Amino acid sequence: MKKIIIGLSLYLLSMMSTLAQSQHTISGYLKDANNGEALIGATVYIQELANGTTTNAYGFYSITLPAGTYHLKFQYIGFDDLQREIKLEKDMKLNLELKPENTRLQEVVVTDKVPDENVRNTEMSVSKLDINTITSMPAFAGEADIIKSIQFLPGVSTVGEGGSGFNVRGGNVGQNLVLLDEAPVYQSSHLFGFFSVFNPDAVKDVKLYKGGIPAKYGGRLSSILDVRMKEGNNKKFNVSGGLGTVFSRLAVEGPLKKDKASFIVAGRRSYADLFAKAFTDILEDGAALYFYDLTAKANVKFSDKDRLYLSGYFGRDVFKFDSRQGFNWGNNTATLRWNHVYGNRLFSNISAYYSNYDYGFQFGESDIDKYDWKARVITYNFKPEFTLFINATNELTFGGEAILYRSEPGNAISVSNGVSTNIGLEKRNAFEGALHVGYDEKITDRLSMHCGLRFSYFNYFGGTVYHYDHTTPGTQKPLVGITSKGDQESIANYWNLEPRSSFRYQLTPTASIKGSYNRMVQYIHLISNTTASTPIDIWQPSTNNIEPQKADQVALGYFQNFRKNRYEFSAEVYYKWTQNQIDYIDGADLFINRFIESQILSGRGRAYGLELYGKKNRGRLTGWISYSLGKSELKVDGINFGNDVTNRQGQWYPTRFDQRHNLKIAAFYELTPRISLSANFSFVSGTPTTFPTDRLAIQGYAVPYVSDNKRNNVRIPNYHRLDVSVRFNNIWRGRRGRSGEDNLTIAIYNAYARQNPFSIYFSQEIDNRPTAGTPVNTRAQQLAIVGTLIPSISYNFKF
Amino acid sequence: MKKLLYILLVVVGFACESTINPTLENAEKILVIDAWVNQKMERQEIRITRSQSYFDNTQPTKVAGAIVTVEDLNNGAIYTFQEGTDAYFWEPNGTPFGETGHQYRLTVTTNGETFEAQSTLGRHVAIDTIMFHHEEKNLLVREAHYEAEFFATDPTGLGDAYWIKTWKNDQYLGKPGEINIAVDGGFTASQAVDGQVFIQPIRRDLINPLDKVPDKQNEFLPPYLPGDKVYVEIHTIDQQAFDFLWAVYYHTNHPGGLTELFTIPLANAPTNIKNTQGGTTKVAGFFNVAAVSTKAQQLTQEIANQAQQK
Repeated sequence: MKKIIIGLSLYLLSMMSTLAQSQHTISGYLKDANNGEALIGATVYIQELANGTTTNAYGFYSITLPAGTYHLKFQYIGFDDLQREIKLEKDMKLNLELKPENTRLQEVVVTDKVPDENVRNTEMSVSKLDINTITSMPAFAGEADIIKSIQFLPGVSTVGEGGSGFNVRGGNVGQNLVLLDEAPVYQSSHLFGFFSVFNPDAVKDVKLYKGGIPAKYGGRLSSILDVRMKEGNNKKFNVSGGLGTVFSRLAVEGPLKKDKASFIVAGRRSYADLFAKAFTDILEDGAALYFYDLTAKANVKFSDKDRLYLSGYFGRDVFKFDSRQGFNWGNNTATLRWNHVYGNRLFSNISAYYSNYDYGFQFGESDIDKYDWKARVITYNFKPEFTLFINATNELTFGGEAILYRSEPGNAISVSNGVSTNIGLEKRNAFEGALHVGYDEKITDRLSMHCGLRFSYFNYFGGTVYHYDHTTPGTQKPLVGITSKGDQESIANYWNLEPRSSFRYQLTPTASIKGSYNRMVQYIHLISNTTASTPIDIWQPSTNNIEPQKADQVALGYFQNFRKNRYEFSAEVYYKWTQNQIDYIDGADLFINRFIESQILSGRGRAYGLELYGKKNRGRLTGWISYSLGKSELKVDGINFGNDVTNRQGQWYPTRFDQRHNLKIAAFYELTPRISLSANFSFVSGTPTTFPTDRLAIQGYAVPYVSDNKRNNVRIPNYHRLDVSVRFNNIWRGRRGRSGEDNLTIAIYNAYARQNPFSIYFSQEIDNRPTAGTPVNTRAQQLAIVGTLIPSISYNFKF
Repeated sequence: MKKLLYILLVVVGFACESTINPTLENAEKILVIDAWVNQKMERQEIRITRSQSYFDNTQPTKVAGAIVTVEDLNNGAIYTFQEGTDAYFWEPNGTPFGETGHQYRLTVTTNGETFEAQSTLGRHVAIDTIMFHHEEKNLLVREAHYEAEFFATDPTGLGDAYWIKTWKNDQYLGKPGEINIAVDGGFTASQAVDGQVFIQPIRRDLINPLDKVPDKQNEFLPPYLPGDKVYVEIHTIDQQAFDFLWAVYYHTNHPGGLTELFTIPLANAPTNIKNTQGGTTKVAGFFNVAAVSTKAQQLTQEIANQAQQK
């Protein structure tokens, strides 16, 4: 291994030094001329080479070429092209601002010049959504929602309305790394899963990696959702906001110093409770139900080579049923980033962030009888990252990551009749480190590749060590001993090599095939055995008893654009093998349990599927169709073991989020310059569930029994839904000389009011109290979380 | 905790439920042994039946001709249960069943196969008092009402588990959601509560029935009003029985609505009954021997007035 790294470094160094003599670098930043926002993923195309590069997440590009005269074309979706002729005789800087296309107020990009990046780059299994598309989609309660929008992309799904988070390629909710300006957001939902925590007013760009994940990302098995916040307008002050059915929003952005420094502050609060208070008294004596979030960011450009960013997110959900009882959860994140360009070719970003996810609840009507539980996960991270733009065809990315986790799974007291007991759990500490290197090379005109390697290390340290024995799978592991380690002493440590690679082979100028392989390792685990993941689920580090989860994924794809990139098409197949997947013993006690490791089972998983995606980029009608065919299964000893009651060896069973067919359509139609229509349609196969076969008469209860101990042996009916919206632009603003823009949006979620099943459950009748000697009635109930159509109206403005 | 579930039920108004009639796989009709024996001075019954198809709403019939005995493994005493009309029974005849701390083995022989289970008779815990609180109208009960609360203290030492049963005006609170179980006076064994007065949710939440106001979706009748009577029993159970009842609670109690987000996958409740000597007949159910303490209290007008003045 060492030899390979040294060899590779020498090769790169020699290549750079020989090339450097005759070559020069052109580098700079691309920005939006209107507001100074960096343009992420804009194309820099060199006509002489019929080749080019793209800007990075900070809008930076760098190309090294032999001396000469070149014609450069700078392109970005929705912006006018910019052409420059340059005489490259020495290293030069070229910072440019692109002007948005001077067309109507545009929600959805209807441009004539869509670059064919999707076909040309090595990235695959990646989906991007720009914020304009997200805000144009008809949304639940009219609130534009990033998490809901990405569920319209291939390979992404959810267990249903109300479930937090999302599932990617058959992985669970806890296997997604959600990053907001690089800081992890542990809980991406407000009010369970109804709304996501990202304020669309403050978000610039959303990118989801489902496969072919670059080596700079790690720590989760299924996906990376990289959400980038706006930097704030550095030219003039802007106020934007909206009045919706659920939230009201306000964002202010502007220059701190023109072209040098800017800020954005965006806030939202739900106001259902304020309405409710006016009409009913049930929310008296301190009862509350609300959520809010505040997103803020500032950046300063110190010099052409240095830029500093500070961003933060503060959000909370509060749910109280009187002044003393209730629960709440919230994320706080803060990120400090420093961009520096060494010379012209080495771009660095050094980030430090802090993330605190805390949640808790309180019960009890007085101080002498109460139950108070608080938990949190604090993450400190330091992440230097470097990109070396070697020449027009080679790029090297390297860096590292050091993460310290402090998990406090339960600071809890129980007070009973005045006697207080600390039922809290010990803090858990862990360190996760990583070194990564990634190399991009355009080998020939047709073939380019990315290869990368991530070395990850995890150390769980300090505190009590629990030792368990093996037992019949599926039952609680017996405790055989408890020992203790010093504060800095390691309890368990793991290291892994995670290779990442992908290639692209250009078949024709408009078609390519791509392939990728990646290994991902996950060291902290979301512990949840409920139907949907909930905000009070626990994050558990790997320990001496819980091994890190691992996944290997291969994917192969075909990409083609038609009619001058008017239409995009892609097809991908993937296969994913996973190890050390977490499941739970029947009746697992996961809540404030210091013996939680005795409740956890470990098994294997596999997921595979086909994803088709077709998109129309231009015309009055735009939108996309996405179809995923997928399968996701687990094999865990102790679950679904059939008649093997002695060894309880598990057989494969479908995961809760195994959805065979997943069809999504998003369409946008511009009726007139002022009126636009949009519609979404979803069709998803029913999720698996377990049906009983028998009932047992025990102590007057009808206890369900599943023959052969099956798990997820049946499927609930299919889910389908249509949402529509109409938007009227420039109601007040943007007319008769008034500045700014606004719109009024009327949306209907679940337009044909289908009662889509979330779950089917079996129970005995609960309304009537059973009487001795008469049998109880059993029944099956189908639950629709959203049982009707939900109309909404919202007004959005910007000036 | 229970209140929380009810509030979740109320908050999101657009959820909806419908009763459906799905086709289920064939029932396996396994042997079910329902053997919860206690020290109350009344006929002790063990029911032996076969499981039925899940939607079969008829009373299961007794498996006849079984030989049912319980042996005291500490002193060798044997309690023979006789076959009755719908159960096998044993009469105390002046002496209660069993002794504290002794271990018991149930043996059931039927159709040439023998089934066994063991249970230990736990420590008796007295109910000190039952009191009433006056409550104003709230989100769930939209009129002034009274709530009952009992007090009992868990003896020091881990591993005592309890099943608290409640009757209101002689009617047993037997809804699945009213299964009230505790370990060492707290919710579960994993929480280090011990030797204290039972925690408040156990003392209070689940002995106050919440029954829907007829024809109202989210309104509930007052748990207690002056004149009502409450009667509480604490049955000792062992940890295994606790796990069993915990599973029964989660798999029979589905209030619906948003609470469904928090349900766990359906799985079979654990059993402590084993088919011995390599028999192949599947068996489910549970055997437990319990000490029982009791307390009754009527909400008289006088107590109600006192509660209101507090």
